[in-house]
Amino acid sequence: MSGVVQGGWEFVIAAYTITALGFLIYGASLVMRLRELKEDD
Amino acid sequence: MKAKLPWIFLALGTLLLVGGSYMGLFVAPAERYMGDVQRIMYVHVPTAWNWMLAVLFAFGCAIAFLFTNNLKWDSRMEAGIEVGVLLGFLLCCQGAIWAKPTWGVWWDWDPRLTSVAVLLVASLGILALRGFVDEPPRRAVWSAVATIIASVDLPIVYFSVKWWNSLHQPQSTPETVASAFHVPLRVNAFGVLFLMIGFIMLRTRVAALRLKREVDVPQMHQEAGELA
Repeated sequence: MSGVVQGGWEFVIAAYTITALGFLIYGASLVMRLRELKEDD
Repeated sequence: MKAKLPWIFLALGTLLLVGGSYMGLFVAPAERYMGDVQRIMYVHVPTAWNWMLAVLFAFGCAIAFLFTNNLKWDSRMEAGIEVGVLLGFLLCCQGAIWAKPTWGVWWDWDPRLTSVAVLLVASLGILALRGFVDEPPRRAVWSAVATIIASVDLPIVYFSVKWWNSLHQPQSTPETVASAFHVPLRVNAFGVLFLMIGFIMLRTRVAALRLKREVDVPQMHQEAGELA
């Protein structure tokens, strides 16, 4: 036990992927909601 | 120009976030004890800062609505709360992923984590409350009051690592973060800030259009009744 965290790239990739997906999905949902409301307007 | 502004913010935010993440993942050195896992900091800390800003924005809009009674502040508040929920959710996910290899657990009922979870659940509750109340003026007052009450938790989140002996590390500032990590952290902080502004502007439009529809429909019924 060195007290140093070894490896861990899978955690880094998971954190960045979740962040990117969160922003992408939310952005897409906003565009869809806006489009629907403008069509109805 | 005004119509394009959210898209400009979103484009700038995306560019900065991609550039900052590239630097954080491939250019910045690994931290001495946490190794590569520490690279999660470049998305986690900017998300935390901007989540707090989104909550503060919603709080400011709630106060502005109660003083002016103008529903445009209610639309902005709704946008701030929803974008805050997105950032709060991402914050908890990133935090859990970072906690597992460093603390050995995905979650701990530590003061910082608990106070963040309380505010996230409260924000979800406010959005649910808005879904239950049909009358726009009443909905705006109730959710403004609820937002102000929920925002009391924000200083608790911020100071929790100072007030209590917490498992969570102290605030990440230029004083507590090594200079080699500053650039990707700052670039990503502006990236998430611009994304947040773009999202809030677009979400405000969604809320305003829905409000317009809600207000128009009763007027149409009233006019129809008068004609009959």
